[in-house]
Amino acid sequence: MTTSAQTVLAPARARTAAESVTVRRRQGFQHGGWFVAPFLVLFALFVIWPLLRGLYLSFTDANISGEGASFVGLDNYREALNDPLVWDSLGHSAYFTLLVVPCITVMAFLLAMLAHHIERGKWLWRLCFFMPFLLPSTVAGNLWQWLFNPGTGMINHVFGLETPWLTDKSYAMLAVVITTLWWTVGFSFLLYLAALQGIPGHLYEAAKLDGANAWHRMAHITLPMLRNVTGLVIALQILASLQVFDQAVVMMDFGPGPEGSTRTFVQYTLEEGFTSYRVGYASAISIIFFVLIAAVALARMWLLRNREEDGR
Amino acid sequence: MGRPGLNRRQLLAAAGGLAVAGSFGFAALGTGADALATDARTRVRYWNLFSGGDGANMIAMLDAFRQDNPGIAVKDSTLQWGSPFYTKLAMAAAGNRAPDLGVMHLGRVTGFSPGRLLDPWDVDLLAKYGVRERDFNPALWRRAVIDGKLYALPLDIHVQLCFYRKDVLRKAGLLGADGRMVPVTSPGEWFELLKEARKATKKGLQTLGFWHNDQNFQWWFFVAFYTQLGGTWFDDARTEVTFDTGKATQVLEFLRRHITDGYAHPGFGGQAGAEQFVNGSPFVWEGNWSVPVFESAKLDYGAAPLPPVFGRQATHAESHAFVLPHQAERGGDANDAAHRLAAYVVRHARQWSAGGHIPAYTPTLATEAYRKLSPQNEYVTAMDHQATEPKVWFAGSTGILAQRVGPVVVSSTMGSARPEAAARRMKSTLAELLASKNPMDGRTAAQGGAVA
Repeated sequence: MTTSAQTVLAPARARTAAESVTVRRRQGFQHGGWFVAPFLVLFALFVIWPLLRGLYLSFTDANISGEGASFVGLDNYREALNDPLVWDSLGHSAYFTLLVVPCITVMAFLLAMLAHHIERGKWLWRLCFFMPFLLPSTVAGNLWQWLFNPGTGMINHVFGLETPWLTDKSYAMLAVVITTLWWTVGFSFLLYLAALQGIPGHLYEAAKLDGANAWHRMAHITLPMLRNVTGLVIALQILASLQVFDQAVVMMDFGPGPEGSTRTFVQYTLEEGFTSYRVGYASAISIIFFVLIAAVALARMWLLRNREEDGR
Repeated sequence: MGRPGLNRRQLLAAAGGLAVAGSFGFAALGTGADALATDARTRVRYWNLFSGGDGANMIAMLDAFRQDNPGIAVKDSTLQWGSPFYTKLAMAAAGNRAPDLGVMHLGRVTGFSPGRLLDPWDVDLLAKYGVRERDFNPALWRRAVIDGKLYALPLDIHVQLCFYRKDVLRKAGLLGADGRMVPVTSPGEWFELLKEARKATKKGLQTLGFWHNDQNFQWWFFVAFYTQLGGTWFDDARTEVTFDTGKATQVLEFLRRHITDGYAHPGFGGQAGAEQFVNGSPFVWEGNWSVPVFESAKLDYGAAPLPPVFGRQATHAESHAFVLPHQAERGGDANDAAHRLAAYVVRHARQWSAGGHIPAYTPTLATEAYRKLSPQNEYVTAMDHQATEPKVWFAGSTGILAQRVGPVVVSSTMGSARPEAAARRMKSTLAELLASKNPMDGRTAAQGGAVA
């Protein structure tokens, strides 16, 4: 409405280029802005506001009841840096990430190759590989808790093992990693599959004519063409793995695992906030975690930018 | 030609407005629905954390109450057990939207800011509805009193038990003339018993399941045996740690030996212990809430308090207790009805004992019906020798204390830390906790972070 009014009111004036750009920009907001407004409102309400509120709380000794919080400056941060459980749980999250990311990347690639090249029952393979990803974490966690049961579970039975998967600290995190692999590999698998299908067939044809064998085609066409998607998979997996929480707690009956060996950073934050009721302290450690994750994300962006420039 | 665009925009605005208005409407309904539902009757909102068999028993008792008190409408909500329940209760009380009646673990009451998040019981009103102090175990009642006021009304105690298979023990000649497990009074006798029992156990089954990897259970067992040794935690002023590392080491070595001597298989921790028991393993240490499980499996079994290997009886006990979450304007009919309901359930807890719990209302224990209840009648004596966590703000079921010290006990039992080193670590953790401030009021235990 306003745009048409403007056009009517100022028809005679010759517009400068700058003016018309402003008008176009404003028009842009008026059309696009309203479409993103619902998202922006929710984003502000559920992401920006909690973030700012969390930042504020991290400088207070707030408890769960929300009453009587006072400003304590950097005390929470000082305590967090000296809290061995902060470092332990951070170590567990990092260890998990270190195990999961390479495994998932390699496995997703292999599964995608398999599904891409198999001629018969293609849909069945895709379905099988992707389906676990659709399960809620509680279902996946419970399922594998049964599979890992030392007495009645399938894993020990099939492989003839007596491994105390969920009760010994040297195996517990490994069990969570295996569960996660099975549960989430489907997503990366799908990314790889799409990328494989996007590689133009004439590249392979040309290579074949030039006498390149399968191994050469893989090394010189497939892998380079998948480089971007590999970068994406790794980045997404790192960010997701650092935030590991739900499948681990479900598998460990909502505890921290044998001798606290599967207590992740997210879990420790939750424990401090909602078992110990120290909302201020929990906010401080989650801010620390936020900074760490943001650093990882930024580092990845920076690395990728360099690589893109190399590619040009 | 501005019209169609205008219309679309108006349409969008109208739709958006409707959606917002609609969501407010639903929000209003959320609060209003309660009000709409009330008729002339007094309404009691009651939050509990009982699911499964306990849930069914609780609902049966509530239905009985409804039948006897048609003037009171009980609106009960069952919430997820554990930390989420306490969080929700705390936030409701802080936001002045608390229910009229709630349930908590007694050990958690001290740390739950009594006076701020909890209101005290009107003892005279309880007496009017037939519940008096003399009807309870004195030690249990004392745990519910903080700053001279009663903040929790115990419904039961639930204890850690030594479940045993009578069929296996009979084969091994370990049942007494009364059909119960032969008594043991020392670690030596206990391990002798396990050795004999193992001979009669089917291949592939462990002799004892005792949750060796679980921080809560291992901590509860530790509390039991440490109390048997007469160990203490803090002085009365809550300024000194009186924890005895010598005694603690003794207990930790005792727990550890079950693994090193092969009576408990490292793989069969957690619930696998109970599964093995159902399959024919002779012993499992479990909470009394396993009674209905083994009952429905139709096992030939008994249940005794944890063996008094260190000279005197003591088994870990925690208690479900009714509480009055803080309401700024507590009083009136709803409060009266909350007292009446709690008193009713406490007095009619015969049903509750089907879940294995020992009713806190002692007249129930003396009834003929309860005395005939097996295996409850075998462990009812646990009421008189409860081993409990210290009464400090950081204690209580699955609370901070268990979370911090429990893993240390597990590390010793599993063999990744030496018992004496673990005992020292427990002591230093206790000292740290004693010096730390209760986040609810910013005071340490010594500064009166709610001590009776």
